[in-house]
This record gives sequence, structure tokens and C-alpha cells, in this order.
Amino acid sequence: MDKKNMKDSAPGKTVSKESAPKKYTNYPTVIDHSTEVQKEWAPWVRQGLWDIKGYRVVKGPAGGGTIDESKKNLKEFMVIDRTEASLYSHSYGLVSPFFLGLLEGKLKGTKCPNCGTVYCPPRAHCWNPECRMTETEWIDMPLRGIIHTFTVQCLAAAPFEHILPFSLGWVQVEGADTAICTMLHIPYHDLFIGQKVNLKFRPKAERKGDLMDMYAVAVPGQKVPKWAVLQSDEKQLNRLDEATAATTEFIKKRYGLDNSKRGW
Amino acid sequence: MSERRVAVCGGGIFRPDIWRGECAEEGVAIAYRDMLKSIPGFDPADVDVLMMSYFSDHLNQQLCMGWIIQDYLGFHNKPGYRVEAGGSTSLDAIANAYFMIKSGMFDVILVPGWEWMSEVDTATTNMMIASAADTDWDFTVGGYYNAYYASLEVRHMQLYGETCEDLGRIAVKNHNAATHNPYSQWRMEHGTAYITLDDYWKSKLVCWPYRTLNNALISEGAACLLLAAEDKVKRYTDNPMWITGVGLGTDSMRPGDRLVDFPFSSFRDKAAIYPDFVKRPKTPYPEMANFGSMHAAALRAYAQAGITDPLKEIDVAELFTPYDGVELCFYEDLGFCGRGQGKNVVREGLCEYGGELPVSMSGGLTAQGHPVGATGLYQTIFLYYQLAGKAKTKYGQNALQVKNARRAMVTGHGGTACQGGVIIFEKD
Repeated sequence: MDKKNMKDSAPGKTVSKESAPKKYTNYPTVIDHSTEVQKEWAPWVRQGLWDIKGYRVVKGPAGGGTIDESKKNLKEFMVIDRTEASLYSHSYGLVSPFFLGLLEGKLKGTKCPNCGTVYCPPRAHCWNPECRMTETEWIDMPLRGIIHTFTVQCLAAAPFEHILPFSLGWVQVEGADTAICTMLHIPYHDLFIGQKVNLKFRPKAERKGDLMDMYAVAVPGQKVPKWAVLQSDEKQLNRLDEATAATTEFIKKRYGLDNSKRGW
Repeated sequence: MSERRVAVCGGGIFRPDIWRGECAEEGVAIAYRDMLKSIPGFDPADVDVLMMSYFSDHLNQQLCMGWIIQDYLGFHNKPGYRVEAGGSTSLDAIANAYFMIKSGMFDVILVPGWEWMSEVDTATTNMMIASAADTDWDFTVGGYYNAYYASLEVRHMQLYGETCEDLGRIAVKNHNAATHNPYSQWRMEHGTAYITLDDYWKSKLVCWPYRTLNNALISEGAACLLLAAEDKVKRYTDNPMWITGVGLGTDSMRPGDRLVDFPFSSFRDKAAIYPDFVKRPKTPYPEMANFGSMHAAALRAYAQAGITDPLKEIDVAELFTPYDGVELCFYEDLGFCGRGQGKNVVREGLCEYGGELPVSMSGGLTAQGHPVGATGLYQTIFLYYQLAGKAKTKYGQNALQVKNARRAMVTGHGGTACQGGVIIFEKD
């Protein structure tokens, strides 16, 4: 990253050709929400270069054979701490209008002019073998759908840990033939497959143009059907309550966040 | 394609554990030594090709790790290939070695496999593995395979009515089997005591309905496998395990797209059982409940091996099941029972030790261990000793030996069933 390029450009500003990173200088940058981020991340990436930061010595079971054999053969191993950090500038490709749509609070899909299949998430080319990679056309999707399936998470990868416990699922948007992976801001006691949902967007200032900008809420007034897989087994529901309560406590301790009051 | 047969002639193990002090090349070397010890007739000069099985580059910050392995084992003038197919990596490595020998081009292939998965912390390992999911569309929401698989299982539960207890029964079966395996990670962690459903309910909930005991382990470990053409087999073993069927299959990257899964539209008949209270997608099989890639793979492998009733005709199986709901669904997709009947297979104990078709008696991914590139090799070695009738010589006096086993099956599967494979083995 050229230092000169990081100056003078505020987020959201349309930038001049000269201030864009080198690889893009042949093409106009239309919107720039990146330069400030790159500036912020540069020291992290530098710190995360493959540098050896520390070490420890661990005495552990060594060699081949069974557990018993290797337990008799203890050796000292030197373990180093080596870092890696990167900032990837990834293009969303031909389906970029979908993500730009999220920024505007709009949900877009694509439709094959040949077979009529509606994709949400969109595909730029139809995957029906009969359509021979026909280019699809953009359509606006309604902000409504039904839950195809879901889970309740008590553990998550690092970037999502602080919002635990939460539910995610796949929503089949009205009119779409496929389902899209979405956060469900619905208390799991109410959650069921086939549930009607409305799709909402985070406040405009918080949107980043990725799928986390959008979430589903339940259409009010729906009853949990008797056959619902989670609620039909009271024991399971109780066990899940215990697990999510423990998770909420863990997040409180670790991040100082009380996720029990947000209503989902 | 040549008519000659291809056999697995044995293998070696460097047992999986949450952390191994040795680094990957040393682990592979130890597994290779273990193989040398058990195959006295083997001469390294016989090896035509190395087919290296490993999944990840980013877990160890090392590209082209295979070059270190071929050099460390002293094979660095031979052809070497890396095979990578997510969770299906080791199955695909065996399949590719088979294709090469079957083509008549090569006679003897060594398959080293490994994975070192604990160099980053567990949450990061999970994140890095989940980057095998679509990073634009699925990974960005939750970023966690457990959650994706849990969602698939919730769908299957809703359609077909298995319960959390059924998933618990599978967990108990596999963990208790692993206590008989002196190379298993569960036995290292836990010892040899059996667990019960009570212990299962006490294990931590990860993503509903999956608890810790339902999930694959994170492991470091290695294994080596030797494959040879018919005319070379006698040098190595009196108990060749012949490969009589190899089937591979794939499915969409994003599971949400399987609601309109065109290549599977001819599989509609498989969806005969579909409850009417749930909306039926355009293509009801496999949608987000079953594993079409595995079904397609199984059909191909069974056709080659002449199998029509797998539950009856296969004697022992090692299934690639990173989550226990996957095992239940595989019973259906591999044709042990009809769609929606997996729960009955569990409840009747058909796939337990002593049942019609014992499954994952090594402990499988959740209890033996899951260093991705080595996992399928461990399972294949386990089957080799099962068919040879010599499980006790390798795994000790308490090993679970399936009696009179003649035909075995191993599977591989990667992504959210984006890729799957089935190999059928037979003894003479």
C-alpha cells in the first residue's frame, strides 16, 4: 500500500484515479469505502507478517505406536509463535449489484430468461444444464420469505462470538427457487421451519454491503405448529435453554455484553 | 482401462491427537515406518508414484507441503501428486491412486496423508475450515461448519422425525467403539470406560441439535497406505484388500441452492416420503436434508461392485461422518434404508457392533480423530485389518473384529456434501 494513496481520502468519497491502489489505476473507482480501512489495517498486516514472536517448550508423548507406547516416550518439543495477517481485496464479481442493493436496503435476485428459475442468492449465469450458462437478469425481490431450516448456535467462529447465542438459517425468499443464509432475529422458542419472515436491514450507517447487513424477523401473529421440531420436545427445549443461558453468561464475562436483552 | 485388479496392501499409523509434538513430515515418517514394519517385503524402490493427501495450506502457513514430505521420505526423484478435496481428500487420494494403477501406467503407489490442525486456536481452526464454505454467501453468516451441518440436520429431523436421542445413540456407539482402538483420540482423552446417553446429554451444546460428542475432533496425525497392481501384490501381503468399486459425486457449493438442484431432478422418486406439512422445493432430493453427492457416488460404486442390497451385502463400513446426523442421513443416501428411515436403522441397532452392518468401529471422525488428510487412510487401514481378520494383531486383544467380514466400504465427503466418494473393498 502506497502511503501517498492513503492520504486525503475520506470514506465514501469518490476518489481520483491517482489515489486508487495501483492495481485499479486503469479503472475508475466509483465509490471508495476502502482507503480508510486499508490505512487502519496496515499496521496489523505488518505486525502479522511471518515473524517469530515467541516460544515455549512442551514435554509431550512422542513417536509412533499406540497411546500406551507413546506415553512412555516423553520428549521436549519447542513450539514457536508465528503470525499471519492479510487484507484481501476481493471482487464480488458480476453479482456486485446484489451487495450494492444491500447498502440501499434492497434485496435483489436474478432470473433466467430461458427457464425462469429465480436465484436469491443470485447467479450471473443460470446453472440449469439446459440453459447453457444463459446470462440471468436482475429482479427486485420482496422482503418476505419462509424459513427453510435453522440452527441455534452456542459456539461460533471468532468474528461472530460476541453476538452468541444466536440463530441462523436459510430463508426461501418469496418468488425465489433457492434459499439464502441469513441471521434470524427471532427468539428460538418461536422458531420453526416454514415460518413466515420479513427481511430487515441494519441502520444504513452500519451497513457494509455483506449478508450481515440483513436479518429476518418473524411475521407477527404466527403460532408454533404442533409438529415443530424444536418445540415438540420439551426436554430438548429445556436443555437448549440451559445451554443458551450458559453461553449468555460466558459472553457477558468475556465481552461485557448482555445479549439476553436484545429480544432474539 | 486394464483388466488387472488393484489392492490395498497395508498401511501405517501415526495416531491422531489434539496436539502432536512432532511436525507433519516426522509424523508421516513415523506412519511410514509403521507401514514398513508391517510389510517386510516392501522395497521403497518399488514405488512409482506418491499420492499425497492433505487438505489445508493455511492451517500451517506452508504451501507445497507435499514437497517436504516426498523429500523427507527419500522419494524425491519419483512423481508426486497432491490431492485436495476438503473432507474427501483422503478418499480422493485413494481413488486417484486406484485410477492410475488401473490405467496400467503405474504399479505401486504410496499414499501418505496428514493434517496438523492445532497450530491456530480452535475458533480460528474452525474459521479456517469454514472458509471451504462459500466465503461470499455462507461463510459471512456465522462462519462455522457446525452451524451449517446443524441446520441440515434440523431440516432432516423436521421432515423425518428422528430425535436428539437418536443422534446421541450414534455418538455413544462411535465413542464406545473408539475405546477399543488404542490409536484413538477419544481413548487418549477419556480412557477406556464406556459412556451412556446421560454423558451425552452432559456434553456441551454446540449448535442445536449438535453437542460436543456429535462433532468431529480437531486432530494432528498421519497415515500411509500402500496400493499395488495385482501382479505385485504378493510381495507385500497375503491379505490383499481388493478395490472392486469406486464412485465419486458432487453437489452444489451452497446448500441453499439445492432447492432447485437440476442435476438431481431425476432423483425425484427418492423423495416419495415427503411430509405434506412442509413446503416442497422444486427438486425435493436431496434439498437441504440429504446428501445427493453421496447417493450419486454410492450408485456408481455399487454398480461396479455388483451390490444391490448394501446393508446385507457389505459386512463392515467406515463412514466419513463429521457430525452424527450425517451418519443417520448416510444410512439413507447409501441405501441401507429408504429415505426417512435412518432413524429406524439407529433404533434397531443395525449399524452397531454385532448388527447387520457395523459402522465406524474405529470410532470414526468424532472419536478416532480427524486430521483431514489422514482420516480416510486410518479408516481404510482399519478395514484392511478387519477383512484380513487380524484386527487384534494391530489394535490389541480388545479390538472389535467383525466376524467373517468379506466386503467393506469406506466413504469420504467434503464441504456441506459438496463432494462425496465411496470405495468398496473385498477380500479373496
